[in-house]
Amino acid sequence: MKTEAVPTASQTEEIPPEWLAEFEAAAKRPLKQRFKYAFIKTYKPVLDDARFRSFDTMEEYRRWCEEDLPDWLGYGRV
Amino acid sequence: MGAFEYRQAEEIRDCFARYGVQYLFIGKSGAILLGFPDTTQDADLFVKKSSANGTALVSALKELGFTFTESEAADVKRGKDFVQLKNGPFDLDLVFAPDGIERFEDAWRRRVEVEGFPVCHPDDIIASKAAANRTKDRESLPRLRSFRDYWLKHHK
Repeated sequence: MKTEAVPTASQTEEIPPEWLAEFEAAAKRPLKQRFKYAFIKTYKPVLDDARFRSFDTMEEYRRWCEEDLPDWLGYGRV
Repeated sequence: MGAFEYRQAEEIRDCFARYGVQYLFIGKSGAILLGFPDTTQDADLFVKKSSANGTALVSALKELGFTFTESEAADVKRGKDFVQLKNGPFDLDLVFAPDGIERFEDAWRRRVEVEGFPVCHPDDIIASKAAANRTKDRESLPRLRSFRDYWLKHHK
């Protein structure tokens, strides 16, 4: 499936008006500009302290996140 | 190291194309490519797990400036389920078996291309986040689902 990037919008119901306004505003920005606003960098303790990590299974990775990362980072399962 | 930049995404796209790496942008970085207005720190790639693709992936990543020990390169080539790279010009998460998506081929069939970037369909991005069931995903999922509805209405 090949499609273009998000076009300008018209009507959308059910979506909270505040979010809809944000989606429509984003659709008008070029991708390069969206990138500039979207990607940020802040230090994340533990997570950013190794140059390479690998996990055999996603379960192993999720468990490591829960056991080793600070809760406030939000990587723990609900 | 600064934030991930558009230029670096282009480098991934162009270099991976040269090496024939099969991959998809997934996670919030994928959603942002589709137009989702939000912030993230990571670029996440869903990579097809195969010996040939793993070998091509390591070659492409080395060309982009990532450095690997032999053991690390072997982990990537083998396609361990999750690999976190902070050994290059930007941070990258490689996911070979994302939660909520059974097979790469299925996601590939549903993919969306945005300026040459192969991106998971919003339904797959949502499925993987819902299955991961992390605190940070739970917070962003309602807005992401609304974005999916908005996106679908404009892509019929």
